[in-house]
Amino acid sequence: MIPGNKDNRDGWLFSIPFLLVFVLFMLFPLVYGLVISFFRWNILSDKVFIGFQNYVNLFADEKFYTSLWHTVEFVLITTPVLLVLGFLMALVTTSKSPLRKVAENVFFIPYIFSMTVVSTLWAWLFQKQYGLLNKVAGLFGIQPIGWLTDPNWAMWSVCIATFWWTAGFNMILMSAGIKQISSEIYESAKIDGANYPQCVFRITIPLLKPTIVLCLILQIIASFNVFGQVYVMTGGGPFGKTRTIIQYIYETGFSYFKMGYSAAMSYILFLIIMIVSVIQYISLGRKSDE
Amino acid sequence: MNSAPRAKRIIYNTLLSLILILWFFPFIWMVFTSLKIENEVVTKVFHFFPQNPTLANYIKAFSSSKILRWMLNSAFTSAMAMILTLIVDAPIAYAFAKIRFRGRNLLFWTVMAGMMVPFQVLIIPLYLQFNSYGLINTMSAVYLPRIALPIGIFIMKQFFEGIPDALEEAAFIDGATRFRIFSSIILPLGKTAFATVTILSFINCWNDFLWPLIVMNDTDKYTITVGIANFQGTHGTQYSLIMSGAVIACIPQFIFYLFFRKKIIAGIAMTGIKG
Amino acid sequence: MKSLKRIAVVLLVLCCMTSLFAQGAAEAKTSGPRIVTFWSLFTGGDGEFFDAIINEFNKTHTDIQLKNDTVKFDDYYTKLTAALAAGNAPDMIVCHQGNLLNYVSSGQLLALDEYLKANNFPVNDFVAAPLDACRFDGKQYAIPLDVHPIIMYVNTDLLAQAGIKDIPQTMDDLIAAGMKVAEKTGKMGIDIDNTTAVYKAYTLTRLFFSFIYQQGGTFLTADNKAANFNNEYGYKALQALQDMVQKYKTTPAGLDYDTAMNEFKLGDAAFYFNGVWATGTLEQQAGLNFVAIPIPGFMGKPAAWSGSHTLAIPAKANIDPEHVKDILTAIEFITGHGEMWAKAGHVPTRISVQNSKAFADLPYRKGYADSAASAVAPPTTAAWDEIYGTCSDLLEYAVVNGQQVQEALDLMEKTVNKIIASY
Repeated sequence: MIPGNKDNRDGWLFSIPFLLVFVLFMLFPLVYGLVISFFRWNILSDKVFIGFQNYVNLFADEKFYTSLWHTVEFVLITTPVLLVLGFLMALVTTSKSPLRKVAENVFFIPYIFSMTVVSTLWAWLFQKQYGLLNKVAGLFGIQPIGWLTDPNWAMWSVCIATFWWTAGFNMILMSAGIKQISSEIYESAKIDGANYPQCVFRITIPLLKPTIVLCLILQIIASFNVFGQVYVMTGGGPFGKTRTIIQYIYETGFSYFKMGYSAAMSYILFLIIMIVSVIQYISLGRKSDE
Repeated sequence: MNSAPRAKRIIYNTLLSLILILWFFPFIWMVFTSLKIENEVVTKVFHFFPQNPTLANYIKAFSSSKILRWMLNSAFTSAMAMILTLIVDAPIAYAFAKIRFRGRNLLFWTVMAGMMVPFQVLIIPLYLQFNSYGLINTMSAVYLPRIALPIGIFIMKQFFEGIPDALEEAAFIDGATRFRIFSSIILPLGKTAFATVTILSFINCWNDFLWPLIVMNDTDKYTITVGIANFQGTHGTQYSLIMSGAVIACIPQFIFYLFFRKKIIAGIAMTGIKG
Repeated sequence: MKSLKRIAVVLLVLCCMTSLFAQGAAEAKTSGPRIVTFWSLFTGGDGEFFDAIINEFNKTHTDIQLKNDTVKFDDYYTKLTAALAAGNAPDMIVCHQGNLLNYVSSGQLLALDEYLKANNFPVNDFVAAPLDACRFDGKQYAIPLDVHPIIMYVNTDLLAQAGIKDIPQTMDDLIAAGMKVAEKTGKMGIDIDNTTAVYKAYTLTRLFFSFIYQQGGTFLTADNKAANFNNEYGYKALQALQDMVQKYKTTPAGLDYDTAMNEFKLGDAAFYFNGVWATGTLEQQAGLNFVAIPIPGFMGKPAAWSGSHTLAIPAKANIDPEHVKDILTAIEFITGHGEMWAKAGHVPTRISVQNSKAFADLPYRKGYADSAASAVAPPTTAAWDEIYGTCSDLLEYAVVNGQQVQEALDLMEKTVNKIIASY
């Protein structure tokens, strides 16, 4: 198409700066991590090669499964809710309401703040005896709820804080998608007598599908990597009820210094995230092509 | 005929305002708590407003720590991260979008898979690596691992794909090289995308906790997220002090947001278009 | 909006300028005195008292300056271990006695004996038990800064209101007193945290541990190779802790560390169990009348879980004896100013400090200084941190959910043995 095509050379040339960084700070440590996962190593003494023993051990480790399950639980709760929340918020910010600009700011601002700030703030709001939520509930005669200490509530409380923190990101993605939809489609639908819910379900959602798929994939990856907010808010408690897999990886690696075991678990997690993403990409990608 | 929709609209907007106030409320509570003395915070009696508003927590936060220094460190490392991210990530994003070279798809998916790696896997190898370069306890250690930002590449790629090929083709016919095209056509057009990526990388680096904690040794070199974590006592939480630290840590980001609000939002939006 | 932005710019610029200025001032000072770098894990109240000692040292020493960097306890050992592995450790470190073994066995700490002798370090001025706890294979690897056992805090006002004259000495008396307080005053009888929130519910584990030793048992076998609590000692200890929550309801379920501390602080709990470090916070509360005493031998003889902060020197190739001398000077000064450290509640390890007037003048401290005599240090095994953390989860579950005591002990034994085998 282009005379004197040097695309192969140029393509790689343009990739070099990034690839250098990528290899140095991502691939190399990743491979090194894989090597570590075949050793018993507390980082202070010499490494002892133990083959696949770490992997064998982790498949017999109950705590590995329960922690993994807590992560999956978190993914299953947060992903749909965050998508729906983001979508509803996007409907607000793309509506004609005079409040739409304010709404955009209010919904989005939490996202820019750090995990530490958001988690300590919510840990304080949820505090059982002196936290705002229970103080307000107390005004209505409700007994204090152990938001973070009651095993039935703890995971939900962490999820609530996460909704507040990250829903704004999905909102922006979705409202951009909605703005792309031509207003003519809505107008002609209105002429045909369609009401608002019909417009949303028949037009907005189907046409927004590519954005929703993107949100879904990004959201699932993010949720699988959940660690900080749970660690700060509940410390994995009560009795390990909210310990996520990354926290377990963190504890074995950085508190108990079982580097090999920790690396092995990370790889299994990496693999799971990868498989889930590929399955999603294939199944959803195919559907939206139809 | 007209009154029913108007009534609906009023109800809708009232409800919306309520939700917005609730959504914003945690910030207000954070500020209120930081203005109270600890005995007013941890008490059986409930006062919504600070009874004797005091700046004591802020004074303590500033006097007992190096909070300004930490903020400057955060600002510096985040700024470096965002500049380098751009320099490193923009060319490859352009290559992914516009150059048909062998191995492109494989390379693209490898890079995207990088998004799925839990950072915890990398920390120890990275630490040992940085140590062998003699970079431990230097500012560059904080931002270097942050400059490969797959999502940034994704955003820029999406944007570049939206630039019509015709523009480039015309330049090719005039005999321009790839580099020429990139620097004189693509870069000036890509401002919005660059703004977003720099901002994402800024937020990313500013909010980072575990890595700077491990890699920086001197209290003088802490970033703000690492520094304020020390407000958490060894044996007990002092909520009013912690909240004042949180407020202080939030202010620069808030200012940053005020400045770049439009760009941040426009940029994130770009990820989704054509997704 | 516009003007707001302008103000913001001015603020940012000002921030940058002040910080740069501050840096310039700091750099000008670095030439001259010999620097001893040093990491500690004291934040909050502890941090303030500790910084005071450091400042005092730097004020009184012109030739040596201490440069202390503080890392929050949760992250301290992560950072320290990484730094040791990479050869990046500072000149001096704070380390819990229980964590020393990990570093000693991998050759990370400097054996101090010859340096102590060469510099006439006042070894004889130290209380024997904590000093000996820092000896491994006959070599001294660290100097104890303090001992911090878990003790009992008693709200004397609530006891008076409930008409209780004597401080309970047996478990039955304690439970009865707790119930009486609850009945007469409506306040909490026995205040023991049993649920993880910001902090893990370690008090529970510490008491379980203490009660086993009170009966003459041990937590692990003598060689530290297996659990040793799945017996009548462990059964009685766990049963008692569980009964407080489930049977007698003197302690509410779902109580976390911060709340437990605040309840006692606000005068809403009668008997509170925590480490000596709580004293520093509690004594600042106006209107709270309490005594702090060693935990009575509720299950036999007095014995209480205890930790100890120690000061150690990371081993480095070709270490300069003159530098070690400077570090030892600092260690001598810090331990010798134990009365300043005792303000945080910790029990000093220097005999001269314990006998000093400055220490005697501090309220409450004398009341529990003896507790060091019945202090029990955790077993020295590399697996301890994981055992401790894991048992804490399991005990929390057993106590809050009223799990069958035998079932809980079986599970704990199995888990602990598995952990030990994995090291």
